[in-house]
Amino acid sequence: MYNRIIKFLGLILVFVLMWVPAHSQDEMTAIDNDMFLKPQRPVSVFQHDEHNETAEIEDCAQCHHLYEDGQLVEGESSEDMRCADCHEEKGIGKTPSLTQAFHLNCKMCHQEKKSGPVMCGECHVK
Amino acid sequence: MHDLYNFVSGPLVWVAFAVFFFGCLYRLIRMLALVNQKEKFIFSYMSFKYSLRSILHWSIPFATENMRQHPVMTIVTFAFHFCLIITPLFLLAHVILWDEAWHFSWGHLPEGLTDIMTLVVVFGCFFFLIRRLRLPEVQFVTSASDYIILGIVAAPFITGFLAYHQWFNYPFFMILHIISGEIMLITIPFTRLAHMVLAPFTRAYMGSEFGGVRHARDW
Repeated sequence: MYNRIIKFLGLILVFVLMWVPAHSQDEMTAIDNDMFLKPQRPVSVFQHDEHNETAEIEDCAQCHHLYEDGQLVEGESSEDMRCADCHEEKGIGKTPSLTQAFHLNCKMCHQEKKSGPVMCGECHVK
Repeated sequence: MHDLYNFVSGPLVWVAFAVFFFGCLYRLIRMLALVNQKEKFIFSYMSFKYSLRSILHWSIPFATENMRQHPVMTIVTFAFHFCLIITPLFLLAHVILWDEAWHFSWGHLPEGLTDIMTLVVVFGCFFFLIRRLRLPEVQFVTSASDYIILGIVAAPFITGFLAYHQWFNYPFFMILHIISGEIMLITIPFTRLAHMVLAPFTRAYMGSEFGGVRHARDW
């Protein structure tokens, strides 16, 4: 009897251990695109943690930058904000549109580092 | 792959557009110089009014007798040329790339529509190929280069279609798409594709002659 209960509890434990990381909040797997009412392309694949580990990015501000009056604020980061808080559907002045912000932020860095996807379909995988 | 992509989407684009732009300019200047040298009197009856009348007349589907006699050709050629010019200019991915480079953008067509327009261009090339092979009057004025330029025009659209759908090897067809587009731009001024810039002048000349000299309509 005890044996069966232990086996059953063990099974639940294994399930929980597998399920929690797969659904945990931190594990970001795609770009947040719910700002776009009618997205034309499939959402961009983006494994946040895996990406930063492979790319050896320690500084959040490298992507989560903060601009004030068109000037980059050094030493400040913006990971507590959504990209869409500043970048709207259409670009305003020097602030790129949300689409552009995503594209420029990812693609320019990938081109510079010669690593990571640069062509449309490499992120927007069908 | 990054070096290749950066090269074909960077310096090679500049080369392609420069050759296209200055090549077309060269063709126009050479055309005017040749007329001036060989048949200078043409300038004496060139008329703005009859030129525009003829260009407009031949820009409307089925407006001319010739188009009415060849209805299938008329439909295919108008659909083909319309899609050939409009698709690349208003394709979402192209507009986005332009915006990335120049921070300047314009409207785009839905991707489902440009997908169909791409197929129209490819179908058009196929139709023109069959026409060249089958019709004796077309066969008579056909040389090897005419088949090659059909391939040059079809290539960016076929590779673009494959890349858009991400069929087969995506990066390969994407790079091939960019290169084939650049080849097309470069060959325009130096092949029969130059009718892109020369055709309006041929039309203007004929319109002026029929209107101002023969006092006839230009059918």
